[in-house]
This record gives sequence, structure tokens and C-alpha cells, in this order.
Amino acid sequence: MKRLPRLSLALLALLWLAALVGAPLLGSQPVALGDLLSGEGTGAAIVWQLRLPRVLLALLAGGGLALAGLALQTLFRNPLAEPYTLGIASGAALGAVAALRFEETLGLSWLPLVELASFAGALAATALVVALAAEGGRVETPTLLLAGVAVSLSCGALILFLQYLADSTQTFRMVRWMMGGLAVVGYREVLWTAPWVLGGAAVLLALRWDLNLLLTGEELAASRGVDVPRVRLAILLTTSLMLGALVAVAGPIGFVGLMVPHILRRPVGHDHLLLLPACLLGGGAFLALCDLGARTLLAPAELPVGVFTALLGGPFFLWLLLARRRERPLL
Amino acid sequence: MSAPFLSARGLAWELGSGVHLGPLDLEVERGECFVLVGPNGAGKTTFLRTLTGLLRPTAGQVLWEGRPLADLSRRELARRLAYVPQVRPARVPLTVEEVVVLGRYPYLAPLQWEPAAGDRAAVERALELVGIGELRGRRVDELSGGERQAVWIAAALAQEAPVLVLDEPTTHLDPRHQREVATLLLRLTRDAGRTVVAATHDLNLASLLADRLVALAGGRALAAGPPAEVLRPEVLAALFAAPFEVVRGGPRPVTLLELGQ
Repeated sequence: MKRLPRLSLALLALLWLAALVGAPLLGSQPVALGDLLSGEGTGAAIVWQLRLPRVLLALLAGGGLALAGLALQTLFRNPLAEPYTLGIASGAALGAVAALRFEETLGLSWLPLVELASFAGALAATALVVALAAEGGRVETPTLLLAGVAVSLSCGALILFLQYLADSTQTFRMVRWMMGGLAVVGYREVLWTAPWVLGGAAVLLALRWDLNLLLTGEELAASRGVDVPRVRLAILLTTSLMLGALVAVAGPIGFVGLMVPHILRRPVGHDHLLLLPACLLGGGAFLALCDLGARTLLAPAELPVGVFTALLGGPFFLWLLLARRRERPLL
Repeated sequence: MSAPFLSARGLAWELGSGVHLGPLDLEVERGECFVLVGPNGAGKTTFLRTLTGLLRPTAGQVLWEGRPLADLSRRELARRLAYVPQVRPARVPLTVEEVVVLGRYPYLAPLQWEPAAGDRAAVERALELVGIGELRGRRVDELSGGERQAVWIAAALAQEAPVLVLDEPTTHLDPRHQREVATLLLRLTRDAGRTVVAATHDLNLASLLADRLVALAGGRALAAGPPAEVLRPEVLAALFAAPFEVVRGGPRPVTLLELGQ
């Protein structure tokens, strides 16, 4: 009965491992295997110091984005819900850009300002969007998406305003960061991201029965014993914190949370016991491969990976809308 | 004297103007089939939702063996009352078995990975009782209306709560499926000792099923008692603002709607 889902999960694990091993070896600069194993020469340095942390971060960030997208789609029972359409990522981005603009003025260099501001932005945007869409204890989904768009647009405008106020060095950092990139990362960023993504995955896995019940509607879930307000709060907090952490180091990388869960539902099914790990693995592998494409397709130039995912995601979003119009069940 | 099994005391719910329920004083006895009848907007669904703790009453309370329902956690409630609502999501991407297993939620430990053997057994009993064992691998949103209703009832049965609460369990079903659902409910009360609380527009189904009937209009109980007492032309005319003929003779009255000329 569950052969295909389990087989798909095993294949995703293999794909994930292949990305982990293969992606650091590939790139604009060929690396000899001998150099790599001896640990000497520029080749080894490129792989161990530049490419490996970057691939690790892509695996974590992609997994986290896909998990957040899945959790929000289930919570709101809407296939278009994800951190970007709901404005959570824009909130985090606004926080981070504000921190980039003001960190010198504030002079609190001992504080991880960009990270903290990104958390604050993600949480504030989530709270705002949900408050706008909440009506007597129920969250109305169409209003939710509209509120998400409104918050996204407002954050975008404020980000432009901050860029206008910034000097040219700051502006350059902001623009590169906004494109969503994994270009300048080291192990520090990987170590920072890992607990948030893995912790979030653990929380969501613990909620897997609740998530499955939410697929049948909030009323039925409540009648089966789910404390819906508490579960909703737990999901929103978890996704916001994951997003805040990811956006702080990688910038806004769009559409992964939208695309990956949709692609994986067909082979894996909708049971969150399998779908959550599938998203963690599949999202990671997907972003690692996107990043590989982003740094090799135009080599020696590098495309920010956020631009790459957005180029894929735009048409995907349209396809989703059209498929929905043909009344194909998406969720 | 022991406290009544399940009772509503001065139960009322109001939202602004228009929608309102009560104040109602009702008692449900253990093992009976208790049926609410009444027109659209009479407050049947609102009553069932306050009874299952899904809606907090604005006044009064529901008591479980004398203990306020509001004192119970959601899980404790779910182990006592299983609900089959009328309005359900159109798209449920899960399989029949996945949905019925979710009925075991109130018994699962927070970090429990797989349902226990006891949970599996309860799921099998529920599937067998409703007779949908062969549908277990099918996706719920690919089923017919009658089959889908059977799935929701099976999921509620898997909860193994002493009280089963159903909102319009036979609406939109053809006679064969209506009969199947009604027979199942009768078996539950007669053989399995469960208590059934149901709301319906279908007066003849109510007459066949109910040990006791309550006629609800404008949120208040117009009449209560065995079917023969409640299903009288004058009660029905007041309840639905339409003339009815009531045919007696069998063990249970049959109602006929009289058409205008």
C-alpha cells in the first residue's frame, strides 16, 4: 500500500546524499580528486572552505523553506500559502535590510543585529497577516492571502525607501543580499542555521498527527481533540523562526516553499509522517541543485540563487493557478 | 440521585442579533437515541456544537455526569463525544484508512510515532461496523457522497466515545444509504450501548430512529418526548410553518407534508 511513498522517500535521501557529495566537486573551477584527498592546494581549499559550506547551507535552507511552505499550506488549507505569499519572508527581509542600514549607526557590533532583526521582522509580519485575516477565531484564507500580498508590498516599499537612504556601499550589500544568495558563506552560517531548521523539523514532526487532522478541517480536528489555537500558534512560531534564521543568512530565496511540497505530494502522498521528511530532503536537494546551476550555468559569472529559483517559480505559480482553475485537487 | 448523563442547563448562545440559541434545558440519557428536529436556522447545529464543546456557550453550560464540559480538555472531550459535522471540507487528500486512524488522536501520546495495536484494532472495528473495509486504500475525495459519509462516521466511531453526535447524517443520501446509516445508528444504541444525538430535517427518519425527539424552533424547545408525542400536526405546523398530515397506525407515526392547492 505504502510502497511508492517509501520508495520515493528513499530516492529523495539518495538524491540528498548525491547533492551533498556531488555539488561541492562541481563548479567553474575544476578540482582534481588527488588535491582534494591530500587536502593541499587551491582545489582542496575551494571545495572544503567555499563550496562545502555553501552546499550544506543550501541543503539546510532548501529543506527549511520547503518545510515552512508545507506547514503553512496545511495550516491554511491553501496551496498558494508559503512564507513568500504570506509576507513572512518580506517581513524578515525588511528587518534584515533595516539592520544593514543602521548597524553602523547603532554601533552594537557585538550583537547579531541582522539575525535578530530578521527574526523580529518575520514574527511581526506573521502576527500582522494573521491578525488581519482573523475573524472571530477563524482565519479566512482569501483574506489571508490578500493580507500577505499587502504586507509583502508594504515591506518591499519600505526596503526601497531604506535603500534610498543608504550610501552606495550599504546599497550594494542590500541589493546583493535581497537577491538571495549563498555566495559568501562559511561554516559559521551553517552552524547558525542548522539548529533552527532541524529544531523546526522536529517540532513539525511532533505535530504530524495534528497536521494530518488539519487537512480534514479545523472543526473536525477540534472535535478529534486537537487544541487548534495552540497548534496554529506552534506552527506559525516555528515557521517564522525558521524563516527569520534562513533569511538572515541567505536572503529571501523565493518559491522553494511553494514548489517543493507540491512536487512531492504526488509520489509521497499527504501523510505528514512521510511528507515532512520528504520536504526536508527534497527541498534541500532542490536548492543545492539550483545553487549548482546558479554558479555554473553562466560561469565564471554567478547568478544569485534567489534569482534562479524565482525564474523557475514564477511560471510554476502560474501553472498552479491554471491547474486550480481546472479544478484539479492540489491539496 | 445520580447526576444525569449529559445535560444542558440554561444553555444559550448568541452572536449579535439574529442567530441565537436557548436558553435550553435538556437531558440526554445513556444509551438512547436523541433526535433534534426543526427548520433551517432553528439552532440545531449550534446546539450540537455547544454540546461537543466546539462552541463556548454565552450563558449556561453543558454537564457531563454533573461535571461542566468546559472543565475538560479537548482530548478529554474527544474521548467522550465523537462528532460528525454536516459541513466538511470538499477536498480531503488522505485515504480512507488515514482518515479513520485520525479518530484515534485523543488516545495518542504527544510523541507517539505509530498508532498502537489497540488503536489499529479500533480502526478495524470501525471500518467493519460501517462496512467500508474494502475502501481503505481509496482517497476520500474520490468517493461517492454516501461512501464519504460512511467514512466520516467510521472515523467518529474509531474515537470509541460513548456519545456519537451527528449533524444531518442522512441529508443528500439516497434511500439505500439513508437506510444503511439509520440501521447503523440503531445498532449502535441497541447493541453497542452507545448514545446517539442527531439533528435532522427528515421527520420520518427521526420518527423511526428516536427514543426521544426535541422540536427546536428559534433556538427554543417547542416540544419534547417520544416521537408519538412530538410528531403531531399542531406541533409540526408551528415548527415548520407548513401544514402536515400525521398517519398513525404503525408503531411510529409517519408525517406527510400537505401541498397547497
